[in-house]
Amino acid sequence: MDILIYGTINSVALALMALGFALVYGISRVPNFAHGAIYVLSGFITWTFLRGLGLNYALSIFLTMLIIGIFGALLYQFILIRVRGIAISEIIASYAMGLAILEGLRWGGFKGMSYTLPVFAEGSILIGGIPVDYQRIIVVGIGGATVASLWLFTHYTRLGLALRGMAQDERAALMLGIDSDFMAVVAMAIGAMLAGLAGILLLPLGNIVVEAGYNVLILAIAVCIVGGLGSWMGAVLAAFIIGFAQILTVVYLGSHFQMVVALLAIIFTLILKPSGLFGMQKQLEERV
Amino acid sequence: MLKASSLMVFYENMLALNNVSIRCENQQIVGVFGANSAGKSTLMYTLSGIMEDIKKKEVMAGGERITVMGEIEYLGQDIMGLKPSRRAKAGIILCPERRRIFKESSVLENLKIGGYLASPAQAKTTLEYVFTLFPALKNLSKRVGGFLSGGEQQMLAIGRALMAQPKLLFLDEPLLGLSPLIQATLVRATKVIRDEQKISLIVTEQYARPVLPIVDFAFILENGAAVLEGTREELMDNPDIRSAYFGI
Repeated sequence: MDILIYGTINSVALALMALGFALVYGISRVPNFAHGAIYVLSGFITWTFLRGLGLNYALSIFLTMLIIGIFGALLYQFILIRVRGIAISEIIASYAMGLAILEGLRWGGFKGMSYTLPVFAEGSILIGGIPVDYQRIIVVGIGGATVASLWLFTHYTRLGLALRGMAQDERAALMLGIDSDFMAVVAMAIGAMLAGLAGILLLPLGNIVVEAGYNVLILAIAVCIVGGLGSWMGAVLAAFIIGFAQILTVVYLGSHFQMVVALLAIIFTLILKPSGLFGMQKQLEERV
Repeated sequence: MLKASSLMVFYENMLALNNVSIRCENQQIVGVFGANSAGKSTLMYTLSGIMEDIKKKEVMAGGERITVMGEIEYLGQDIMGLKPSRRAKAGIILCPERRRIFKESSVLENLKIGGYLASPAQAKTTLEYVFTLFPALKNLSKRVGGFLSGGEQQMLAIGRALMAQPKLLFLDEPLLGLSPLIQATLVRATKVIRDEQKISLIVTEQYARPVLPIVDFAFILENGAAVLEGTREELMDNPDIRSAYFGI
């Protein structure tokens, strides 16, 4: 029972971490290696608003999401757009930005164990005899709501459909009047906001530390590779596979093997099915 | 409506379009015929602005140097160098060679994505129009694009282009690799689109015969140069053209 509950929580947390990365890669084919940095950055921005400026928690979160969205858009508009389409340069540029943010934060004094965000609601309830705190329930709730609204957004709104068109064939989208550069900026803004949302939801469960940025990046990449790069539903499914695998490892082997699971998942996926679980395009090509 | 004069396109030092001038009057169907590699697709890319995007990407990646020269006048305005999305907004829509439909989206979604530039009301009427024009698509509306046959994909590609509310529609080799029966359906549909939507069309083909009955005016491209132009009758009367492009 505890495996089921904590597996679900862990899986949703992983899905939240990975969704932004999957979305940006799916639409603009830019692997955003600054993803983990944005995750941590959002935590520190919220902390600054909340503790530094003494603003209300909800307002801090709102402002952080706004700033992170704009930050993502600017990051794309002024840096990544220049190396678009050159895979290695994209990785180096975005990873360098991530490093600059994370190490800049460390240099700016954001280190140690003193930075924490309060949970949204204190207390816990018993589910099937297992105590689960409210924050984790909120994580699952908002995580589910995020996936659902993302699905609705990409299937039923004009902008969302255009993003999916561009993800599939950029040039064909261009012919229909969809401005690919603008769409990529939008995608990056949404991706950054998703990273920020994950940070704001998950960081109250522990301390805000710079190192979390690297871990989140690795986990997001692991989820996306197992799920099939660019496939959002694949990422959600992969989050559940890795999430449960991690909890099973914690229960039966020990918690220090948790990270190994994610890395092994990358290796096994690349050996067995390099296109991932939902490498849709590949699958179609094989069948037709 | 559209007037392009002395278009020159170079890929590095290779001349892809050599001093091509073509024009299309309001509500005309204009044919552009030429063999493989005559420059038909390059011409379509240049007119619709996709070439600007290709050029930009090549510059960024340090690849081929593409040079575009000449003048393109559309509805009295110079559109040379304009981004493809701006041209599409002005009504120039390209339905590309090999269709390029969105393979992972359903037929309905493909059409909806095509309606990006349309207002909700326009999208609704055009969607119904596409389904009356190609009834076959209506029954397939849930089918994923990648699983359609070539003819169905071409219908979808044309329908998707119509959703973008074109005033000037380019069909780049719409009949490529299709059976004569489907070819006839598509040619008929092309004329119906012109008559009912009151738009202009430029249709390119390697083989002119199936399209010839519906074109008002045609250009023949050879090795990147427009070697001949004329009305349908004028071209039909030219014995060289008849044997080379019409197979009569």
